[in-house]
Amino acid sequence: MAEERRGSWFGFGFCGFGQALGSGRGRQVHSPEPLQTPGEDADVCRVSASWSYTAFVTRGGRLELSGSAGCAAGGCRDAWASEALLVVLRAGPGRGAGTELQAWAPGSALSGEPLWAHTVGPEAEGEDAPGGEPQAGALPLLPGARAYVSPRPPFYSPLAPELRARRLELGAEHALLLDEAGQVFSWGQGRHGQLGHGTLEAELEPRPLEALQGVPMAEVAAGGWHSVCVSETGDIYIWGWNESGQLALPSRSLAEVGKTAAGEASGPKEDGSDVRTAEGESGGLAPFIAIQPFPALLDLPPGTDAVKASCGSRHTAVVTRTGELYTWGWGKYGQLGHEDTSSLDRPRRVEYFVDKRLQVRAVSCGPWNTYVYAVEKAEG
Amino acid sequence: MAGAGTLREALRALLPPTKEELTLQLGETVERSVVRLLREAVELFCGGRGDECLQASEAILDYSWEKLNTGPWRDVHRDWRRVYAFGCLLKAVCLCEETGDAGAVAAALRVCDMGLLMGAAILGDILTKVAAVLQAHLPSGKRPAPGPAQEQPHEKRRNLRPQDSNLLRSLSWEVVGKFRHSPSEDIAGTEWQRGNVAHPSCIFLPKARHDHVRIPDVRSERTVPRLRCPSLQHFRKHFLVPGRPVILEGVADQWPCMKKWSLEYIQDVAGCRTVPVEVGSRYTDEEWSQTLMTVNEFISKYIRDEIPELKRDISIPDYCCLGDGDEEEITINAWFGPQGTVSPLHQDPQQNFLAQVTGRKYIRLYSPQESEALYPHDTHLLHNTSQVDVENPDLEKFPKFAEAPFLSCILCPGEILFIPVKYWHYVRALDLSFSVSFWWS
Repeated sequence: MAEERRGSWFGFGFCGFGQALGSGRGRQVHSPEPLQTPGEDADVCRVSASWSYTAFVTRGGRLELSGSAGCAAGGCRDAWASEALLVVLRAGPGRGAGTELQAWAPGSALSGEPLWAHTVGPEAEGEDAPGGEPQAGALPLLPGARAYVSPRPPFYSPLAPELRARRLELGAEHALLLDEAGQVFSWGQGRHGQLGHGTLEAELEPRPLEALQGVPMAEVAAGGWHSVCVSETGDIYIWGWNESGQLALPSRSLAEVGKTAAGEASGPKEDGSDVRTAEGESGGLAPFIAIQPFPALLDLPPGTDAVKASCGSRHTAVVTRTGELYTWGWGKYGQLGHEDTSSLDRPRRVEYFVDKRLQVRAVSCGPWNTYVYAVEKAEG
Repeated sequence: MAGAGTLREALRALLPPTKEELTLQLGETVERSVVRLLREAVELFCGGRGDECLQASEAILDYSWEKLNTGPWRDVHRDWRRVYAFGCLLKAVCLCEETGDAGAVAAALRVCDMGLLMGAAILGDILTKVAAVLQAHLPSGKRPAPGPAQEQPHEKRRNLRPQDSNLLRSLSWEVVGKFRHSPSEDIAGTEWQRGNVAHPSCIFLPKARHDHVRIPDVRSERTVPRLRCPSLQHFRKHFLVPGRPVILEGVADQWPCMKKWSLEYIQDVAGCRTVPVEVGSRYTDEEWSQTLMTVNEFISKYIRDEIPELKRDISIPDYCCLGDGDEEEITINAWFGPQGTVSPLHQDPQQNFLAQVTGRKYIRLYSPQESEALYPHDTHLLHNTSQVDVENPDLEKFPKFAEAPFLSCILCPGEILFIPVKYWHYVRALDLSFSVSFWWS
């Protein structure tokens, strides 16, 4: 019987602040590189990347920061990194003392006093997945799912208990919530269509996505201005802003650089004509889409089922059941992992993992970079 | 053409002499990591490491751009716009450091224009000065490709007068806050809604189709009253305070004199500058979109006729001093577009003087009291825009519109129309038209 080997982390994209990302050479990494985390080579089970630094949490509870903030600390169950705040879930001082939620200034190296702290009840003792796979941590959703943290005021927001939140993700100006039944909710600003209710209006309170009712979702992910969810059957639904092709829909800005998938047939710009369209697959003309205000079903290659998704500011990454990684969207800092800095408006497999015979198990995107957890393929 | 050397010197002369002065005073909103990156970029620049400075500037631009696109524009903290402008400054100067060729200079000028459009003034309005220097080092659109270094670009360039600077400013960045996204918000599926722009604020409004010009018979309509040079008190008492429109005649005669406006002059002054352009006859149409292009590109694409020479000059009407704001808060916009351009019925949150420079405009005005009969869109974004096509209304859908009283006029060159705050107005250009609007409070 084949045995699962322990996996390791890889990274690619922006590392202009020296955050651990593969070799850490230069300011950008365009192809996946094995992570060299500072300190002990311990089992990293959680990666939370902000723009200028990345937080790593090991299975042993060790937190390490790399980049514009650098430090190490113990007793951490989970961490969530943003430019303004580092939020950490720490085991309380004594046995049975419960868990404490702490918010620190990233540069504080976790010394002195946190900016604020909040005791969380004993239900905070979470479970790790069997097989040792890294869990997508619950933060910014707090254990107990009664509240969540945010890098902007209000820093601590309660959630109605009837929401039964399982997972919460924050974009630049919106929030997504996945409940126990697999229903997706959204709220916040809607001007880029990221709420998915079919308009550009804002929503003050969590509102269920009617278009997705009846399709139980397994995962949600929020980018800067776009939203993704993965159904239990492996389908991807995506909506929001497509300015860099992050929705895998034809993008005008990419066409103008000659890089849209659909627009490969479009000719040079003609004087006097401003009608820009994309050649659809069937040869018909498909319009460019900058904003998709309600969920669209995304086509991966036939036979591929998605299981995990994560979004950066303007890019998207998806893990499939068979252990492949697909990325698309903004690529200027190499965050798509295709060995270049092109942006893409259609999904493309990251060949590195196929070539190295690695099975991707998890992905966690920072705003401009991507971290991937993969295991070696089991021997037959 | 004078080489990269003089350009580099001219740019360096504009920059603060020390790296301590090449900094921004920023508040708490801008994160420490960004401040650190800004400092690093300046170090790289002063250390002569242009390529690395360019990389750092790109990161500064990309990060601050994300902030500019987060939340409503009016809530974007000014410091982020200043950071964005700073990134544009460094990038523009770095682009020209190596080579002074026209391609690099044009690219640098475009970067400056983006900084002027979306950024905020920094270091004594340095981007305007840098843009002027770059512009002076670019061949004008009308000249043939330059031969081996013979002409000095400076000699042929007309000097900008203060009034022209104002107008040029308006061409560049008075639309700040109204144009933010990258071009063309094409929205899938649902009914078209217009980005986060609440006013037809962009400068040029080319039309999508060629109609026969219909000159409305305004004799059958109630006309806007006309006054010849009223006193400030009279204007305030009878029009400003009660909120009544009026056409001011003879005010333009007071303006300092003789200036020829022509396409050539506009191209000379602003040809290589990047401005936002609306494409499509009405912004409530499905084909409406915004895009960026240089004034030269706009003119070659959309303007076919010459503007008749005009011996008028433009300055801020004295009546604006009756408002609460001071002179810097008056927003001046230039509106330039071919015959047939339509601004759909809408209202603005400020008082407006619309000065007609060349060409005629048919204008209809509805009082704010008639708002219900004008069926404004009920979305937040478009609530100051009517759903009704004024000259071709769908009276089945909008029955009350037929009975709504209005005033109308044909505004001719030399005349200024006072549009009171929130007064609904609809405009159609009967000729190739150049107008200047003054928004004040």
